[in-house]
Amino acid sequence: MSESNTPAGAPAGAPAGAPGSGGMPAMTLHPRPESGPPRPWAFPAPERGALPNGLTVLRCHRPGQRVIAVELSLASPLAAEPDGLEGVATIMARGLSEGTDRHTAEEFAAELERCGATLDAAADHPGVRVSLEVPASRLTPALGLLADALRAPAFPEPEIERLVANRLDEIQHELASPPRRAAMALYAQLFPAASRMSRPRQGTEESVARIDAAAVRAFYQAHAGPGTATAVVVGDLTGTDLDGALARTLGTWTGAVRPPEPMAPVTGDDTGRVVIVDRPGSVQTQMLIARLGPDRHHPVWPAQVLGVYCLGGTLTSRLDRVLREEKGYTYGIRAQAHVLRSDARGSGAALLAISGSVATDVTGPAVADLWRVLRTLAEEGLTDQERDVAVQNLVGVAPLRFETASAVADALADQVEQELPDDFQGRLYARLAGTGTAAASEAAVRAFPPDRLVTVLVGDAGQILGPVKEAGIGEVTVLPGT
Amino acid sequence: MGHTATPQEASGRLTVTEHRLANGLRVVLSEDHQTPVAAVCLWYDVGSRHEVPGRTGLAHLFEHLMFQGSYQVPGNGHFEMIQAAGGSPNGTTSFERTNYYETMPAHELELALWLEADRMGTLLTRLDLASLDNQRDVVKNERRQRYDNVPYGTAFERMVALVFPEGHPYHHTPIGSMADLDAASLEDARQFFRTYYAPDNAVLSVVGDIDPEQTLAWIERYFGSIPPYRAKPEPRDGSLPETIGEELRRVIEEAVPSRALMAAYRLPQDGTRAADAADVALTVLGGGESSRLYNRLVRRDRTAVVAGFGMLRLSGAPSLGWLDVKASGEAEIAVIERAVDEELARFAAEGPTPEEMERAQAQLEREWLDRLATVHGRADEFCRYAVQFGDPALALTAVDRVLRVTAEEVRRVAADLLHPRNRGVLVYEPTGEPPEAEAEETGGPAGPPVPDVPADPDIAPGTDAAEVGEGPEEPGRSEGGGESPTGSEVRQAAGPAVDAATAAPEEERQ
Repeated sequence: MSESNTPAGAPAGAPAGAPGSGGMPAMTLHPRPESGPPRPWAFPAPERGALPNGLTVLRCHRPGQRVIAVELSLASPLAAEPDGLEGVATIMARGLSEGTDRHTAEEFAAELERCGATLDAAADHPGVRVSLEVPASRLTPALGLLADALRAPAFPEPEIERLVANRLDEIQHELASPPRRAAMALYAQLFPAASRMSRPRQGTEESVARIDAAAVRAFYQAHAGPGTATAVVVGDLTGTDLDGALARTLGTWTGAVRPPEPMAPVTGDDTGRVVIVDRPGSVQTQMLIARLGPDRHHPVWPAQVLGVYCLGGTLTSRLDRVLREEKGYTYGIRAQAHVLRSDARGSGAALLAISGSVATDVTGPAVADLWRVLRTLAEEGLTDQERDVAVQNLVGVAPLRFETASAVADALADQVEQELPDDFQGRLYARLAGTGTAAASEAAVRAFPPDRLVTVLVGDAGQILGPVKEAGIGEVTVLPGT
Repeated sequence: MGHTATPQEASGRLTVTEHRLANGLRVVLSEDHQTPVAAVCLWYDVGSRHEVPGRTGLAHLFEHLMFQGSYQVPGNGHFEMIQAAGGSPNGTTSFERTNYYETMPAHELELALWLEADRMGTLLTRLDLASLDNQRDVVKNERRQRYDNVPYGTAFERMVALVFPEGHPYHHTPIGSMADLDAASLEDARQFFRTYYAPDNAVLSVVGDIDPEQTLAWIERYFGSIPPYRAKPEPRDGSLPETIGEELRRVIEEAVPSRALMAAYRLPQDGTRAADAADVALTVLGGGESSRLYNRLVRRDRTAVVAGFGMLRLSGAPSLGWLDVKASGEAEIAVIERAVDEELARFAAEGPTPEEMERAQAQLEREWLDRLATVHGRADEFCRYAVQFGDPALALTAVDRVLRVTAEEVRRVAADLLHPRNRGVLVYEPTGEPPEAEAEETGGPAGPPVPDVPADPDIAPGTDAAEVGEGPEEPGRSEGGGESPTGSEVRQAAGPAVDAATAAPEEERQ
């Protein structure tokens, strides 16, 4: 590597001494360094086993990760919620930690915090996920509390009433949040009215208000059992007798439940159209532009990952290059493929979405520019350089992305819920590297055809309706905000 | 190169060494070979407290300009090169400092050092009006997205303006005002760089799978010839009397989804034992779902859906204890406030129980372990302790100091400081009407109350900006994009859009 004390290797267009610039650098310049030899890294392979009560266990030793992550998945899809009781899975999930056969709700929270633990539970389309994080030194008592919550939740009536009331409070906040409001409108547009996916994951005001302790207990009894559940345990397990700890805790959970019905294929109507949700006074317009596409079981997945990244994965992707770095319309626009629900038979789907917010007064031009980016992509495809950078980034960041125990546990639990093999993520990196520009281009173009996108805009209809119509991206409907 | 190595053994296996280049750049190195990654973190000792009247937001706007190209790295090259190398860059600005960081595959560490040195040494050769104007628009949109277009989004800004008096360096927040962002000129930006972006005003930390000797040689090679500034202006004095002496109060009528009660208490400066005691007190009172306020307001009285305390630790001014309560149903603020004051008074009289001490300290310990679980988290903490307290190794013993706090110290700090005559209060009353643009005197409504309160604006949105679910999901979890792979952002709480006060951002929580 050569030293150079003058900027002889100055890059093309270097503005040395140009008027208004700072002139020549005052430091010694060096050429860009070469990479060192790459050091091997592989996505951690979990060890799969089962407890005598049928609970599937995936474990993964991650040296140095002193906070252990436990992800427990219940096979209780939202589609199994009774009609009109949407939100009961959410209230059940939250109710798990509101008292057990050994503790009242307050005592349970106190015991958890005595372990230095956090416990979160949430219901999504594939099922309920309970996430425990705890320092390794207190893993066993924390697993005991998790087991209590699953084995013997009390679901006391007063606590369920409170959870319902609080959930109704939260809905008011969600309606006022532009990204949440946009998602609500999108799901209602995209999915058939009969589909559970058309309604909010955590229920509507109407459906939540109907939920009581009896409904919660019935849902629990039908869907929470060790035989259909999976626990993923990740972290520094040095010196931990995990088998012993599991046997004494989650191993004592009993109860038989039927596996959920096979999922109906996920379908949606992606006829190109625009819905404006009126939010008077908004200084920005929240955009959510989406349709359905292949999930991770589909062979196109790696190509789609690359294509979506090139379109809108980051600040240097196509959308931000124009809308942010050239025009300054936004703080950032992102494209992503988010798996909604999935199974091994291929009935699942991912939401392919472009989202971000733009200043109210440039909403029309921003939408027009966004469509121009999509049309250019369809006409010209991606460049080899874009594809190469996408591969280098997505493969290269893997060790960073999966540095913590919780990131690994989360990815493994996702795979379980989506009926993917345990080595899916591990093999994905080789598949990405083996995907060429043409395949990535085709996948990106198929993911976001300009005339097959449902567009939701949450903003000041009085100001944006005209300009959005002018942009000519589809028929426009205006909905009242609440 | 005249550095002194001062190895120290501290918590766990972690060690840290400190060095200094001849131009004044301080360097902190820490080895950890468990994962082949390396975090580079560069703290410049400049934040919004250094800004002058009429130029609020300049430190943060300038942070954006640092990504707009330097002599050998034109345009978006900084981002492009790091991402193509499999790394992940970002930067944030707070009251007290500006940080830049990239986490890299270990074999690409040298590139990151070369890139940071290029912009520290040569930014002004590329800085031009076109990029200033563009990033001004980007930052104004950042302000709209994170504050002005969000219910309660400007609560933090309003509170800070209330509890730090006019003219105080912390009276305004890092995002700045729209008018001042408009007013920032190219010459302002140039002068800002010349004054603050010098090696003798920075700390560089490198943590992870590194060879310390080789790393130090690279740092000397790339940074060693950058001239020092040698005339760093001190920020204006941020010291204030120990207590406010009265209650400062504002009622805001706005189109928010529910009534809210927020308060900020003046607390001891960071780095003191009293600040650690205050942290424990706030945790017992309002940290998590077994805290006194959560039990009282959410579980028993059922007047709130969110109730908790967070702490904004500041080293150049009093820290703030941040109360956030979102009312449930039609509950009235007067009722909530009476209950809060009863709980605070009882705590001041009785102090924490042994069980409460144990729980609070266990929670604070886990938060520290989380913070130190990633190479980036460690690199950032080393910089923080080096810049603000002169010794990076203090990061490794911070948790021990929190664990040494006694119940009596906790009671005393609460009795002295957590009372109505030492707080600013914001009361939100919903109007049901959309906000009038002209009603926004101090700015917009606030984002997330406590969690985002001490908002450090970032260079770009991460995962959470790409929210596509209406519910509890974590968007961007797939590898398809919108990804922000840095460890500290990997996990985002599943939950509703009501923001819990208990999740103050990590950076400000410690």
